[in-house]
Amino acid sequence: MSDETDKVLDSVIESQAQNLELMEKLFAVAQPGAVYGEPVASGEYAVITASEILVAAGSGYGVGGGPGAETLEAETAVEGEEDERTGFGGGGAGGGVSMGRPVATINIGPNGVQVQPVVDVTKIGLAFFTTIGAMLMMLGRMRRASGG
Amino acid sequence: MTRLREKVSWQTMWGEEVIVGDITVTPQSKALVMHAPFGGLVWNRPVAVLVERGERTERIPIVDVTRIVELGLLALSVVFTVVIFILSAKKRRS
Repeated sequence: MSDETDKVLDSVIESQAQNLELMEKLFAVAQPGAVYGEPVASGEYAVITASEILVAAGSGYGVGGGPGAETLEAETAVEGEEDERTGFGGGGAGGGVSMGRPVATINIGPNGVQVQPVVDVTKIGLAFFTTIGAMLMMLGRMRRASGG
Repeated sequence: MTRLREKVSWQTMWGEEVIVGDITVTPQSKALVMHAPFGGLVWNRPVAVLVERGERTERIPIVDVTRIVELGLLALSVVFTVVIFILSAKKRRS
């Protein structure tokens, strides 16, 4: 019984340590170094990429145990036999999402610094067609509602 | 309120300086950090770069064109929906 409890406690401590490690990794993304890439230099020129980053994560765990023979009804408990219903257990799960998207490039040269935006045509295209689709649906609904 | 500030914060940070020739570039980022008991969220985005050349200092903002276009389309669809609702309500009344 105490071995099992120790095992469960160990697993809880391990889970907590893993959770802390995960959180440290997650919040390291809040540093500017995560957003700006290492400068790529060539001669007098250098380029730095700037990206947007979104990271979200969560985890949880639980432990539980059964009471065993002490609380079992007298007729179900057989003397001299170990109760198989006694025990502890635990479990955990976690999940997360991460997203990164280039936003701009910073070009450094003898003429100065230029910030050039990176346009995600696919994302804009998807948003455009979704908007057009929603508008047409709305228009169709209105026409049906007005009977024309 | 203080508890909320501890759990949710907007952090503006300056990155490491990049020196190319006589130009010093310092990047700036802004991060939304949310702490939860068993998780969290970090949204970090570039904001601007501070350019120092000689005695001249200039702040160049980083514009997220994709985000602006997306928000523009969202605003357009919201305005369109509102207009359609108003027009259909007027039609029904008349």
